[in-house]
Amino acid sequence: MTQYFIRRLLLIVPTFIGITILVFVITRFVPGGPIERMIAEVQQAAMQGGAGTMQSTTSGIGGATLDEDQIRQLEQYYGFDKPVLVSYWDWLIKVVQFDLGVSTRYSEPVWDTIRERLPVSAFYGITTMLITYFISIPLGYLKAIRHNSHFDHASSVVVFIGYAIPSYVVGIILLVVFASNLEWFPMGGFYGDDFDDLESKWEQAADVFYHAALPLMAYVAGSFAVMTFMMKNALMDNLAADYVRTAIAKGMPFREAITRHAMRNSLIPIATHFGNNISVIIGGSFLIEKIFNIDGLGLLGYESIVERDYPIVMGVLVISAILQLVGNILSDICVAVVDPRVQFR
Amino acid sequence: MTEALLEVKHLATEFITEQGVARALDDISFHINAGETLGIVGESGCGKSVTSLSIMRLLPRPAGSIVSGEVLLQGQDLTRLAPEEMHHIRGNRIAMIFQEPMTALNPVYRVERQLGETLVLHNPQMSKDEIRAASIRMLKRVGIPAPERRMQEYPHQLSGGMRQRVMIAIALLCEPEILIADEPTTALDVTIQAQILQLLKDLQQETGMAIIFITHDLGVIAEVCDRVLVMYSGRIIEQAEIHTLFDTPLHPYTRGLMNAIPRLDKPAKQVLSTIPGMVPSLFDTPPGCRFQNRCEYAQPQCRATTPPLEGDSDQHQVRCFRFRELMH
Repeated sequence: MTQYFIRRLLLIVPTFIGITILVFVITRFVPGGPIERMIAEVQQAAMQGGAGTMQSTTSGIGGATLDEDQIRQLEQYYGFDKPVLVSYWDWLIKVVQFDLGVSTRYSEPVWDTIRERLPVSAFYGITTMLITYFISIPLGYLKAIRHNSHFDHASSVVVFIGYAIPSYVVGIILLVVFASNLEWFPMGGFYGDDFDDLESKWEQAADVFYHAALPLMAYVAGSFAVMTFMMKNALMDNLAADYVRTAIAKGMPFREAITRHAMRNSLIPIATHFGNNISVIIGGSFLIEKIFNIDGLGLLGYESIVERDYPIVMGVLVISAILQLVGNILSDICVAVVDPRVQFR
Repeated sequence: MTEALLEVKHLATEFITEQGVARALDDISFHINAGETLGIVGESGCGKSVTSLSIMRLLPRPAGSIVSGEVLLQGQDLTRLAPEEMHHIRGNRIAMIFQEPMTALNPVYRVERQLGETLVLHNPQMSKDEIRAASIRMLKRVGIPAPERRMQEYPHQLSGGMRQRVMIAIALLCEPEILIADEPTTALDVTIQAQILQLLKDLQQETGMAIIFITHDLGVIAEVCDRVLVMYSGRIIEQAEIHTLFDTPLHPYTRGLMNAIPRLDKPAKQVLSTIPGMVPSLFDTPPGCRFQNRCEYAQPQCRATTPPLEGDSDQHQVRCFRFRELMH
């Protein structure tokens, strides 16, 4: 078992290199980039400047641009003068030393930028996961026990609506109804402007949750359907299982047979899911973060792609790839813990 | 005649399904005495298992329910007991083992826990050490080598025969008065089958419990039973002491079954005798005898009225109008 997990951990290395090399190469070949952006900025500045004062800067009509020499300097600065694989190697060496480079947009270390956002996404992710488990497991349990009852049908309607509507649409609806029309909740942000003035930790926590209410609902709406049905179906299967009948034939009351025997087996598929959730959850959903103006990792990744801020793109990728890979192994560990039949070799 | 240990009187069980109501058991009456082995034989769907599930009140709900009749355990009607009282009967006074030892044990718990559970339920005053000791003793009794080690194993680490032995151990822990064995050897290969049958016989000798043995295998019946019920389409059609049944089967269906057994003393490579036709659907049972459509002796009377189960219940009973003519 231990051997298996050591092997899995070692396998992270080639997988990680595979993922990052792919994205690194793509960033090289897609049109646009920090240099193009800089050129565009200079042109824009020149056009505005030219229109205002009629003062010609360097070269002819049509606005200023950077000359060859400057571009070459920039290329050298960003490492674009070297072949792709060479600069990938340089990047990788730095990553191994926990140096993710410097953002081309903010001109500050990528790691600092990510570190600022990570707790925000992690807060939403972990809270969503907890709420989802707290809703899905009991709900799935009740639905399985009262299969085909009114309660089962009514809750299925809600679950399917939650499943069918994309979570960002749920987010927009919540925002329009509860923040804009009813004004019960703030429009967005992670906490209020007066956060630092709040007296106690409790008030600060309350403020965070006050701001988090709507986005959390949007997150949960998207994720609890699958989990609920997974729980329900697994439990239904296990309720019909022979060993539950054996337990009842031993003289165990039905309820006890469910909680002691059927539930334990039903948690196996849920445990399989656990590790995968971690990465998705901590990575955040950039759409929801965008709608609610939350400065999380998802939004950061999205904006850095739009702005061609490649060091950040790669930085976010590094974090999410590692989370995904570790999450997979975590899934395996969870499965091995709950199911004694699982033997990893 | 002494009072029977268990007496089933006019038991009827129905299943409500999407296609309608199926009467799975119709007017089932029999008894079993202490220390006796009663076989219930019949083909799939004839109601053998439903009979055992009805006695244990383990019918899948809400579809299945007992609609009339009594199940008297030493005079106490189990069909009228509150669910909580039934918990003290199951596993304690009547225990059950099932066909599939592969799935009848919970895959995620160790053998020790699954054994101990029964004792915890029925003897809450026992300490952990006592439960452990009793479990090990019982595993030894059902012929499991190195029981201390087996206690710590999971069901998937045991062979099919071992698992069935564990099931038997679980069933016998509380020394039940009746053991219902629902096709306990069907899923096992023949050598293991023989071992398990011998084990059940030995344990019965030691404890004096009654066994209701459900199977479709007449060979198994011949080996272990004292008395046999033959069921067909939800009814008992013949009941007899074991030798009587094999020597002079009376019902045309029972005769058909006997003829269908391949025999070593007959020439080889003969076409196996079969009973033509199909069992009537339980949703659409004909009036009169259930076997009429397959019976070569059927008469107009057989299609109109249900024949009664005639004869002495300890000797030989049969549900056929013409059995006297067919005796010779």
